Amino acid sequence: MAEQLPFESLKVVDFSWVAVGPITSKYLGDHGATVVRVETEGRPDILRVAGPFKDGVPGPNRSHFYGDFNSSKVGLSLDLKNPAGLDIACRLIEWADVYFESFTPGTMDALGMGYEKARSLNPSILMVSTCLMGQTGAARSLAGYGFHAGAIAGYYDITGWPDLPPDGPWTAYTDVVSPRFISALVMAALDHRRRTGQGQHIDAAQMEMGVQFLAPQIIDYNASGKIVSRNGNRSDVAAPQGAYPCAGDDQWCAIAVDTEQQWEDLRLTMGDPAWAGDDRFKSVEDRLSNHDEIDGHIGQWTMDKTAQEVMELLQSHGVPSGVVQRSSDLLQDPQLAHCNLYRYMDHPEMGNIPYTGHQFRIQGYDSGPRSPAPLLGQHNEYVLKDLLGMTDEDMIEAVIAGAIA
Amino acid sequence: MLSPYTVLDLTDHRGELTAMMLGDMGADVIKIEPPQGSSSRQMSPYLEAAPETEQSLQFFSYNRNKRGITLDLQSEPGRQALMSLVEKADFLIESSEPGEMASLGLGFDEMRKLNPRLVYVAITAYGQDGPYSGFAANDLTLAAMGGPMSLQGHPDRPPLRITVPQVWLQASAEAAVGAMTAHALMVQTVQAQFVDVSAQAAMVWTMLHGMAAHAIQGYDINRGGSELQLGAMKVPVVFECADGYVVMINVGSTMVKFVHWLVEDGIVPQEWIDGEDWPTYERRFLQDMPVTYPLEETVEATRRYLRKYTKRELLERGLREDITIAPVSTTEDLTRFHQLEERGFWLQAPLADGRGVSVPGLFARLTKTPMDVRRWAPTLGQHNAEILGEKLGLSDGEIAAATGINSA
Repeated sequence: MAEQLPFESLKVVDFSWVAVGPITSKYLGDHGATVVRVETEGRPDILRVAGPFKDGVPGPNRSHFYGDFNSSKVGLSLDLKNPAGLDIACRLIEWADVYFESFTPGTMDALGMGYEKARSLNPSILMVSTCLMGQTGAARSLAGYGFHAGAIAGYYDITGWPDLPPDGPWTAYTDVVSPRFISALVMAALDHRRRTGQGQHIDAAQMEMGVQFLAPQIIDYNASGKIVSRNGNRSDVAAPQGAYPCAGDDQWCAIAVDTEQQWEDLRLTMGDPAWAGDDRFKSVEDRLSNHDEIDGHIGQWTMDKTAQEVMELLQSHGVPSGVVQRSSDLLQDPQLAHCNLYRYMDHPEMGNIPYTGHQFRIQGYDSGPRSPAPLLGQHNEYVLKDLLGMTDEDMIEAVIAGAIA
Repeated sequence: MLSPYTVLDLTDHRGELTAMMLGDMGADVIKIEPPQGSSSRQMSPYLEAAPETEQSLQFFSYNRNKRGITLDLQSEPGRQALMSLVEKADFLIESSEPGEMASLGLGFDEMRKLNPRLVYVAITAYGQDGPYSGFAANDLTLAAMGGPMSLQGHPDRPPLRITVPQVWLQASAEAAVGAMTAHALMVQTVQAQFVDVSAQAAMVWTMLHGMAAHAIQGYDINRGGSELQLGAMKVPVVFECADGYVVMINVGSTMVKFVHWLVEDGIVPQEWIDGEDWPTYERRFLQDMPVTYPLEETVEATRRYLRKYTKRELLERGLREDITIAPVSTTEDLTRFHQLEERGFWLQAPLADGRGVSVPGLFARLTKTPMDVRRWAPTLGQHNAEILGEKLGLSDGEIAAATGINSA
């Protein structure tokens, strides 16, 4: 029997860009949907000009920042400010089940493809609008990236060392939170549509999704006035925890003791050194108070071993530990290989490169990614003729009118 | 949206958000805890004046829209009660170690026999099998093994995690996607589905363009403090201001307007306005094409300007003039950020110590099927009688046996 995919009959038109919208439509595409990613050649997705570029050579079709978020999609170039382009956009909305956009609130209305228009074209359309601050409120037009929403949400202040200015999360943090919420929501709204025929409009504010992961700390402030602050790698309830230096250049192993038993097991793994028996390290409170000193001792033990050796030694005694892995380590990680996370596919300009797949596996089918990211405008003809059913003549007319740009 | 469905939530802090998301979207969620309560009831932050099992704000935060029961799954009556619930459920979410449920006779293979349409979601550190599936893990070690720590932190300090644990929340939110994906497949195939969620893989996705970087450009990205690293461009995004810090990505199009602020304050000379084609600056820089003013100079000018003003002044002028300068908020600042209040984001919830408190609300707005909070986190065993008695028809004695009251 042929493999069935969860969203194989689903049709998605994606006018969004950068991270949150494209990552969300990638979920649907990798799991079977037909996803049309619409871009404008004069102003393509900003990620096309951001690295990493294949072999470090820039080019609009050489960025894997773009590539990794756009697997299993077909690409269409369309000038939405051109009347013939807008006409094609409307045909796509008629064709689609789901319509994504991530512009500043009001932009789609001004273009003539807002929710009211979309609904008149396709009464059961599920439209998703996502932006930093939401479709309403005085700050709705705050344009920016997940860096900005991540800062306002509070993630910068809580990432760093207590004696230094905040480092912040590595990347646009709300971008790594929001796609999960929106994807689950779109799938739930589609299930509702399947049962009732009702479409609707979703307003997904990346800020409001982002703060969900700080809920206990926000409630704690409101209830008790306590403000959480950055504290390196330390916990407020268990010790020792940290990243410890290992043999080699800038190599580290994270070790994080949660329980008394794990502290005993850590001591045992290190050969029960005399220092560890000191009364100043006896209780959790003692270890939290004298954490710097413990870190020095543990670092002495780890520094002549590889991070992998440290992890394996500690794991053999059940102590939570893990190598601080970089991209090069992840690409060779046996567990991620077992989970089939990275898939190598041939891209027309970038060659055979890995695409990052999914964080869950469902038995019985392959969740892809199914095809490499589209070149800018790669599937214009396919989308116009095969998906929208345009004739050669109509298509040529649209090109002459400047719609396909 | 999901009101026809019943979800059984057997998780602890590693998966409670998953079931809450399904509950927020309308599902009837039954939280099933061991007799002594979920381990997340012991997790900080704490509400000191509350009874011991109700002190955890972690538990309070991620268990709304659930009814709560206790079951002793080490006992036969407890397992039988769970199996009766499974027969009538649509989703089962669990976060125990690989093989743990199967060892109790409650694994997917047994459950699918009881309910051939069940979606069974298992959240673990590394997945159900594979070389690391038995590894001891927690927030810090998974932030290491999943990659983001290698990119975070000051270059002359160790790699860094986010202080407030994030790993299991990332994995839990991802598990909700897995649950709904499997549900869509179940609708087509009318077959039970098993979803195997890996927290490590969820952390890989938090690296975004860092996750496959080595295979593309031939080298790894390394931690650079608060620098944004995009290919050739390394630019600080955190700047000191008069009363704290702000985040600003001051390249390219932002400079089109911001350069006027700089000139106005005498930070840079007038000729900066026309001396550079600012709209294309970023693209040219990223593609190794020439620019008039080096990045270091624009960064230094930005630094000097921002130092003079407060977070609030910068945010508000930016909002008026369309330049995004985001305050680095503390939790206190966040609660005062007006946009959230204006959108009615905050909800009022009753705390276990009797007070009311403002809490984060629902994660999105929908025109046809708005989400809502129908109940707050259950107290330990709050709905034992309602669910085990009324729904399953167990007698008082049978409830006592199933919930482990006799042994407790």
